[in-house]
Amino acid sequence: MLDRHDMITRRKHIDIPEFYVGSVMAVTINDPNATGRSSRFVGICIQRMNRGLKSNFTLRNVLDYQGMEIMYEMYCPVISSIETLRLEKRLDPHLLYLRDARPEYSTFPMDMEPELIAEDAPVPINDVKVKMIDGDWDKSWERQELKGIDLSGLTELQKRMALKRKTPDYVQYDLMKEYRSTLPEEDQEDIYREIAPHYPALVASQRKFRRRKLAGDA
Amino acid sequence: MSQAEFRKLIPALRIAIRPRSLRMRNIDGPGGRLKRIAGHVTNLIRDERVEHNFPTLSEARNYAERLIAEAIRHGDKHQPTMDLANFYLQEKQLVHKLFKVLVPRYRNSTVSYTKMYKAPTITNRKPAAIDHPKGILELRNNPLPPLEPRPIPTRNWIHNVLLEEARKDFAAEKKMEKELALQNQIEDQQRDQNDEID
Repeated sequence: MLDRHDMITRRKHIDIPEFYVGSVMAVTINDPNATGRSSRFVGICIQRMNRGLKSNFTLRNVLDYQGMEIMYEMYCPVISSIETLRLEKRLDPHLLYLRDARPEYSTFPMDMEPELIAEDAPVPINDVKVKMIDGDWDKSWERQELKGIDLSGLTELQKRMALKRKTPDYVQYDLMKEYRSTLPEEDQEDIYREIAPHYPALVASQRKFRRRKLAGDA
Repeated sequence: MSQAEFRKLIPALRIAIRPRSLRMRNIDGPGGRLKRIAGHVTNLIRDERVEHNFPTLSEARNYAERLIAEAIRHGDKHQPTMDLANFYLQEKQLVHKLFKVLVPRYRNSTVSYTKMYKAPTITNRKPAAIDHPKGILELRNNPLPPLEPRPIPTRNWIHNVLLEEARKDFAAEKKMEKELALQNQIEDQQRDQNDEID
């Protein structure tokens, strides 16, 4: 498929590292209006959408007491580098609730150094329970099944409403809902077969980028 | 359209499915809808042939195919599959039938496990009533009398006999022509060799 071909071609020019929602990352883009023609942003990945060539992720940081989020399309040629500074996972599929959490959970220094872990070590899971601000929240996070929020400060009414919105048990038995939301095994194998010839070149270019980066740092 | 999530490897259904699930209005909401589908699946597994409204049966067919595929893949010692069978088969002896009878029947099959037919829609009702399209859903290789007519062997029909003989004659002719051409080629080669020697 054309999209997949373009994604593979882009990955031969730039190293897109392993990252998850909850990882702290640094992205450098080519900005004609910035000093040095490039600008770097460091933030925690709060959302990751896999949409083929339009796949994107959002980084959040708090700079000068102002929270900001930037959404980057992974295969955009404007991006010159993507680094994972801290590789870790969280308990939830997204961290949009950090908007209503206390700022310390979204603040990361812009000159943060990458934290290295062993290559074959499992990805650490950060099970922190984030404390929320006292005022009104943008969304009723207590009603979504999020495990990373500290919900001890809720009122009784809020707790009752949260239970009401719990997903019912029968949803786990809905075979066609599950089937329609995934790609069947045979179609997945077709795609893997399509990109398998490109794997050696991709792995070689990845190794080249990482070697170059280590040499650059040293 | 959101992208597919890959959490579980699911074998492909061997039938064409609607891109969206069928909306079935139910007083108990989505839970009631699933219960109704489970009822149709139960009837199918028990009677091996059911007749009902076509769209509902079409949707129930998908669930039946998925249930059988899961049973074949994981067997009866797998707890989530047992829970699924428990949910969809409302009579407990049908769970045994699924794993002991249907799984061996369809284990080596490469086609769908069910077949769907359109049934006669016109029923003996008042002219003002709506005639919903009816369908028949049945399991393959069931012991009931077949719905489809037995295929008539047409090999002994006169025109087919004549055509077959004509085909044989044509093949024989072609073969003779080829042998003749080959023989001529050999004779030409031999004549050229003799000319060279001379």
